[in-house]
Amino acid sequence: MTDLKRVLLGFLILLALVAGLLGADAMRRHAARPSGEGELPPGSIPVTLNGVRMVYLTPDEMVSLEQVSFVDEEEGKTQEGWLLRDVLREILVDDGLEDDCTLTVSSSSRGKAAELTWAEVRDEANMVMFDLSGRGTVKLVSMLERLDTREEWVQDVDNIEVVCP
Amino acid sequence: MKERYFTTFELLLLSLFSALIVVAKIALRFPITLSGHSGVFWMAIVIVGAGVVRKRGATSVIGVTSGLIAAFLGMGDFGALNTFVSYTMVGIGTDLALFLLRDPTSLVAAPLAAAIGHLAKLMFKWFFGVLTGTPVGFIALGLARAVLGYVVFGALGGLLGALTLRALERAGFFSYVAEKR
Repeated sequence: MTDLKRVLLGFLILLALVAGLLGADAMRRHAARPSGEGELPPGSIPVTLNGVRMVYLTPDEMVSLEQVSFVDEEEGKTQEGWLLRDVLREILVDDGLEDDCTLTVSSSSRGKAAELTWAEVRDEANMVMFDLSGRGTVKLVSMLERLDTREEWVQDVDNIEVVCP
Repeated sequence: MKERYFTTFELLLLSLFSALIVVAKIALRFPITLSGHSGVFWMAIVIVGAGVVRKRGATSVIGVTSGLIAAFLGMGDFGALNTFVSYTMVGIGTDLALFLLRDPTSLVAAPLAAAIGHLAKLMFKWFFGVLTGTPVGFIALGLARAVLGYVVFGALGGLLGALTLRALERAGFFSYVAEKR
């Protein structure tokens, strides 16, 4: 086989791998699509307030928000995304959230959850935010002392619960 | 006595490249947050390793060794197993690509092999996510962006590796190493 044929075959393999991966992901997204009315984008995150499902968090709510970033101390990587404070204000319109409200951000696939108070989330210095992972899921990261390592962060977030007394 | 496939000298070289990958991953920081950007130096080192030890399986050895080091250092967001297999897949993917494309000093073949090798890592991460029940991506184009990043930065790394190999060849590195053996 000539070198040219090898390179062409290599390109074809690369294209096939890319198409295969994107196709498999698209099929997975399609299978996850709810069949009922009021279809929501697959991967949207339900937000409950005092046990009542209020809204689903979708990318539309995030894109208009200002992006922030910080460099984590553990690996020195830049974490970039949207402050949870801004996201919740956008979708809940900041109605009745007091400092002692508690927020539980969880991931069922990872079996992880982080409990925070609204006061912690509201303080911009804590950088409690959603970072977008490579495969498009969101990860809760922060600079809070009890939530500042990969072990403590919540990857692949799929639920947000807000409880206010 | 049966001759070993890799000599001790070659294994030492491959181990050094593996360690270099982990050190680079920890120490080098690019001021960009695009997925797969670390592929620039990662794949450059892998391609240089493939050029210095020109035997099938060389980059797989680099992948396995760097994966072991990274896993023991607790690197990565998704646990030791994910880290180990991700690093290993880079090596195996590049090996398989070079089995077809052969010449790691070629300015076309090397970027292509590196892009395939780097993409193998993302493919594993995706499959691992499916197996562990990771939710569907929040942003529809999230994976497409990641794929583009992995391919482009992997190819850039491959190009850098091929150029490094050519520079080493011009400097007489390979003749020097042959003499030392």
